[in-house]
Amino acid sequence: MATVLQVDNLAKAFTPGFIPKKREILKGVSFSVTAGEIFGYLGPNGAGKTTTLKCILGLIFPDRGKIEIFGHPHLSMKGKEHLGYLPENPYFYDYLTAAEFLDFYARLFGLKKRDKEDKIAGLLRLVGMEKARDLQLRKFSRGMLQRVGLAQALINDPTLLFLDEPLGGLDPLGRKELRDIIVRLKQEGKTIFLCSHILQDIEMICERVAIIVGGRVISQGSLRDLISEKVLFTEITLSGIDPACLVDLGELVSTHGDRILLKVLQEDTIQNLMALVHEQKGRIHSLIPRTETLEDIFVEMVKQG
Amino acid sequence: MTGSSGRRKGSAAVALVALLFLFCAGIVSLKLAIERIPRKKIPGASIIYIPSGKYLKYATFGYSSLVADLVYIWAIQYYTTYTIVDRFQNLEHIFSIIAELDPRYTDPYEVGALIAVNEAKDLRLAYKILDLGLAKNPDQWIFPFEAGHYAQRAKDYETARKYYEKTMNIPGAPEIAKRLYAAAGFKVMDLEESWETWLEVYNTATDERTKKIAGKHLYQVKTAADTNLLKEAVRRFRERYQRLPAELGELVRFGIVSALPQDLDGKDYIYNPKTGEITPPSIWWKR
Amino acid sequence: MKIKAIALNTFKEAIRDRILYLLLFFAAVALVFSRVLAVLTVGDRVKIIKDVGLSSISLFGVLMAIMIGTGLVYKEIDKKTIYTLLSKPIQRWQFLLGKFFGLVLTLFIMTLAMSLIFLVIVLLYTGRLEGSMLLAILFIFIELVLITAVAILFSCFSTPILSSIFSLSFYLIGHLSWGLETLIQKTRPGMSRIALRGLSAVLPDLENFNFKTEIVHGLAIDPRFYLYSAVYGLVYTLFILALAVLIFKKRDFV
Repeated sequence: MATVLQVDNLAKAFTPGFIPKKREILKGVSFSVTAGEIFGYLGPNGAGKTTTLKCILGLIFPDRGKIEIFGHPHLSMKGKEHLGYLPENPYFYDYLTAAEFLDFYARLFGLKKRDKEDKIAGLLRLVGMEKARDLQLRKFSRGMLQRVGLAQALINDPTLLFLDEPLGGLDPLGRKELRDIIVRLKQEGKTIFLCSHILQDIEMICERVAIIVGGRVISQGSLRDLISEKVLFTEITLSGIDPACLVDLGELVSTHGDRILLKVLQEDTIQNLMALVHEQKGRIHSLIPRTETLEDIFVEMVKQG
Repeated sequence: MTGSSGRRKGSAAVALVALLFLFCAGIVSLKLAIERIPRKKIPGASIIYIPSGKYLKYATFGYSSLVADLVYIWAIQYYTTYTIVDRFQNLEHIFSIIAELDPRYTDPYEVGALIAVNEAKDLRLAYKILDLGLAKNPDQWIFPFEAGHYAQRAKDYETARKYYEKTMNIPGAPEIAKRLYAAAGFKVMDLEESWETWLEVYNTATDERTKKIAGKHLYQVKTAADTNLLKEAVRRFRERYQRLPAELGELVRFGIVSALPQDLDGKDYIYNPKTGEITPPSIWWKR
Repeated sequence: MKIKAIALNTFKEAIRDRILYLLLFFAAVALVFSRVLAVLTVGDRVKIIKDVGLSSISLFGVLMAIMIGTGLVYKEIDKKTIYTLLSKPIQRWQFLLGKFFGLVLTLFIMTLAMSLIFLVIVLLYTGRLEGSMLLAILFIFIELVLITAVAILFSCFSTPILSSIFSLSFYLIGHLSWGLETLIQKTRPGMSRIALRGLSAVLPDLENFNFKTEIVHGLAIDPRFYLYSAVYGLVYTLFILALAVLIFKKRDFV
């Protein structure tokens, strides 16, 4: 598959204020994104996610390194023709209406008049903002701004889409809707670069990820390779059993009235437990195996790095 | 619960409004009290302390002609505030500032000279101002013309001749300048001649401004003549009836004069029955 | 055209700024006040009206240029609207030029409004439509365009307050050219004099655009002076814009 984004050895240091001391933010970042995938770029706050993104988009000039978009140098106009970008906490021109706003960006791409109208209507429909078409942006809520921002990022039908924390600040319904839209876009053949620190969302939709900690990419690969399917432990909720009997079988997490939450490490212990419950005429309310999550890996990596 | 707190809120609002009224009343009465205290200064008098027009010009950042206008307007108000008895000390200074700021602004030279002659009784200063005006505006014949006029009224025929000669040589000067040049050697100009001079200038004037200036001088001559007439009439009345007339109408009723003269605007002269003084209804150069 | 799109967008944004209308209101008040002020003078009353009028247009125009110019680019950077813009296929200089033209258009509308009020007041007083005033106003506008470029330049790297102070200083220095001339004359010939001469050549001479006094007095001006002044204004504006583009080009948007 073609590589749409190639980043090699990106380095950037800042000199805050007048003190000549440099602060290195990016210390040699390298990764690549292939066509048609949803790529997750994660890292703790301050790791350099947004800085990397700004380097790619030409908002910051890196000290060292090479960036190529669709094989073109990243600062060329050709590279930017097929990009879309939704920044974190988007803020747009207050006094424009949603339609005027999209119209402005459409004109920057030189879209023809009739195409413009259709495009704007279609995009507003896609992000669910049709009704707010003639409302001034200053009256929009955070979630609405996020959606309009996504519409703006799609105005030129980009093949590579950059989303910086797109799901932050949305309510659960909004997050689901946005996730669905992202998946749908991928199905249309777009490549999506998703910057986030909300691991649940990444886990749900990304195929490949790169993890950046302290200015370096410490891990890169497909999600499935990173996360083993090994079961770490099992959480069992039961009632009607004397807690004293359970001491050997597992770790008592909590008790709520009659119900006990037990953490069981060995798989075979579960069999013994179930036998015990059957014997004592108790009840098992739930049995949930916990596999390794992205969060586990992430926390581990950050601790190491 | 809501009722009582609502009432508390209501009474708090009323108390606040009452307080506001009290403050207002206090402010107003204080201001009135301050105004009653006599103040010697006229606002803006600190203009006197500006060292020089040259430096002021730098501080105006390209708005020098506007500042010239404002200083001029201020000067007019200042010099007609008769309560300030020592106001002529800075006459030269103020008008030189205005000249420095906008040398081609012609009104201040004239009015400055006017104030110098009529109010400050400083003829030398009037010449100085008019000379400056001519130096900066060589095409303005009215400056040496007025200077000659003042000189002649003061019986300084030498100076008058010099000025009339200067006037003659400026293109656009009225014909009468030549005649005045010739006549200046002989006598002081009486009111009759003054009237004729300015009437000719008025009638032959080619622009509004000259007409206006001539009109002003005509007004001044007429009021001078009328004031003299009225003064004489009052004197005769007093001689005959051993008292000052209560008002000017009495002069007509008692047959001293046939009719009361009016100024060029048709207004009556102002008469002070306690002192017998006659004053014209307008300040002639301010019309 | 991309510059046009940005210019129009900037215009729409600037023209809705309430500060502009506040200043316009004050300008109108000043213009009407000139009529009142004229009553107090002895002699030529129209001169007062014209002086106050032209000075108001000039002063309030400069304030408008500085107020909206210094906020313009800074606001985009601060509010991060610039992120989405510059990630599009648009060059940074196109963005800056678009901002500049949008602002110039806004100032043009404002100047037009003030000029109309002024001409109507003069018309009501003298019964004549004084077209010569437009010439003075034209050069005031050229000066405003230059100040706008300066405001945008500072706005590229400075906060609005600092930019305002710098732009205002530029304006004041530009009108102090007489002071510099006097200083040069009083200095003895030598290194310092040469340095001062160099300084006076580079520093903006905004007095070149000041025809207020001459036009109010109806004095004739050599048409070459008009031409040279206009070209000077154009070249200096281009110089400032080039400087702005240079600074803006290599800026990191953290």
